[in-house]
Amino acid sequence: MNAPLLEIRDLAAQVGGQPVLRGISLSVGRGEVHAIMGPNGSGKSTLAHVLAGKPGYEITAGSVRFDGHDLLALAPEERARAGLFLGFQYPVEIPGVNNAYLLKAAANAARRERGLPELDAFEFLALVRGKMALMQIDESFLGRGVNEGFSGGEKKRNEILQMLVLEPRLALLDETDSGLDIDALKVVAHGVNSLRAADRSIVLVTHYQRLLEHIVPDFVHVLVRGRIAHSGDRSLALELERRGYDWIGEPAAA
Amino acid sequence: MSTATASAAAAATVPTPLARVLNEYRAGAAQGTGGPQEHAARERAALALEQVGWPSTRDEQWRYANLRALERVASFQPVSRVAPTATAAAALMDLPPPLPGFARLVFLDGIRHGPYALPAGVRSVAPQGAHAAQWSAAQRLGWLCEMFATDTAALEVAGEAALELLFVTSEASVERAVYPRLQLELAAGSRLQLVERHLGAPSGPAFVACNISIELARGALLTHYRTQQCGAHVSFTDSLDVRVADEAQYRVRQAALGAHDARTSARVRLAGHEARLLWHAIAVGRGEQVHDTTLQVLHAARATGSEQVFRGIADERARLAFSGHVHIDATAPGSEARQSLRGLIEGPGAEIDLRPRLEISIDEVRATHGATTGRLDENLLFYLLARGLDPATARALLKWAFLGDVLREIALPALRTEVERLAAGQLPDVLAVGAVT
Repeated sequence: MNAPLLEIRDLAAQVGGQPVLRGISLSVGRGEVHAIMGPNGSGKSTLAHVLAGKPGYEITAGSVRFDGHDLLALAPEERARAGLFLGFQYPVEIPGVNNAYLLKAAANAARRERGLPELDAFEFLALVRGKMALMQIDESFLGRGVNEGFSGGEKKRNEILQMLVLEPRLALLDETDSGLDIDALKVVAHGVNSLRAADRSIVLVTHYQRLLEHIVPDFVHVLVRGRIAHSGDRSLALELERRGYDWIGEPAAA
Repeated sequence: MSTATASAAAAATVPTPLARVLNEYRAGAAQGTGGPQEHAARERAALALEQVGWPSTRDEQWRYANLRALERVASFQPVSRVAPTATAAAALMDLPPPLPGFARLVFLDGIRHGPYALPAGVRSVAPQGAHAAQWSAAQRLGWLCEMFATDTAALEVAGEAALELLFVTSEASVERAVYPRLQLELAAGSRLQLVERHLGAPSGPAFVACNISIELARGALLTHYRTQQCGAHVSFTDSLDVRVADEAQYRVRQAALGAHDARTSARVRLAGHEARLLWHAIAVGRGEQVHDTTLQVLHAARATGSEQVFRGIADERARLAFSGHVHIDATAPGSEARQSLRGLIEGPGAEIDLRPRLEISIDEVRATHGATTGRLDENLLFYLLARGLDPATARALLKWAFLGDVLREIALPALRTEVERLAAGQLPDVLAVGAVT
């Protein structure tokens, strides 16, 4: 099982005829944590969306293999059930659908996929209680609408709670640190770190180095204008923090 | 009698629906039901309908009603008052389970059926004649019911009570008409939970025209659950007229789910100070269904309040319309009115028309309204898909959520579950319980 969990090759995508990803290649091995950094508009969030299967993007070139399978051929829900989790930058509010229902439906969809029996109400509560405590989320939240009236920090903690319940094989966390104060950031980071495991990979999309002080990545990549312009280890993030993004030039076309 | 002769002559040359109705009325009236007072009331109703005329889609208040279905009504003659046939009895086999704590009255094809066991606090009174009813132009089909109805439930409520009225349309109604009629008076300070359900699925076309008149005296509270779950061959119309006195409150939770076409024509007069109306309604249409509601609210006294919440989902080629007209009269300073009307279009050929309308004759009031119609939000859908839910479940869940503003107002768990189940229709069973906050 030495093949990478995620293998992106020369991936190009456009929105409304405008190229956004212009040939991205990236391998994420099992158990690795990668950070994808870059200035605004560099294509970071687009990459996360394309991997999760969000409609509205046209793939113009390249391939993505997830655990050896063609990821781009799968519908969004199939990608999720196969173990890919997207933590949204802007989690939507869904008034009227309660958190407990969504969590349970999502958990059971994943369990069915793995051939496991579905959780009943008691098993579900037992599973979710400890994880809610870890994310410092009050139990009353289960009966509330999904993200309804939540603060920015609460929404992000809820994303991580969903991740903890789903136990994905690959977590794509899109700007999970944005809009968080330092206390909330620590809670979120603690939640993510609790999931670090040899068979689970994490890709952090972030603009700032701050998150990486709490979730230490194995690799850091810098995205500029839809291409990976630079890759390195954690020290690259620190250098970006010090020098900004301007010093990184565009890569030559492959 | 000269009026009758003139109409009959007109009918011979121009077979308009109105002429047909009047002809059938004359034919039926000759057989005679009820005493001279009732006869006089019917005559007044016939005259009133003749004067106001048959509704036309050129009329704002009838633009979205399915008047063609009305023209195709086979017969306006009521199902005759006979002992229930075997097929009628069959309709009674299939009734929903009783609601805990509610006394149940059953009306079969518009006629009281079985024992009239009223709970404490409710008594039967003499019906008022049609002279008491004053149906507005938007409610003009109310006159039709006054002309043909053969039975009236007239009830007076004092104290506290819970009552379930089942209006069952049986096989005997095929190519016939059904005219349920209810007159309700709530005494000062009384509280009533009323469940009004229209059900039954005759195998051929049937016409149902239901009249309900309600008076709430000072401080009375009526919570009125209304579900229309008739079968696919029923053309349904109901006319509802309500007068709300000082400090009384009228709460409606209505679900329009069934029938081939359905029209609700309601008028609520907030006649006394601090009278309140809370109207929450859903409509879910599929196939070629038409659900049309016109609600007129008159604020006629100081510090009155009204709230209208409508959520409609139109699937396939269904058409939904909700027209909410609020008039705050000069006699109603300090009043508040709020309208929130929303439509969700699911089908490629579906249509939803929402028309909020505020007419304000005085300065010191607060009134807000909002009306939006659209399709399911793709961002919400993607969020659910990204959590592994299948598209059908995700869509169903979002439809639930959309109806939630009204569903959560149904405080009776058994009824709410049933309405959810009915509204669900083709939605996966897994959603029937507990998904909606």
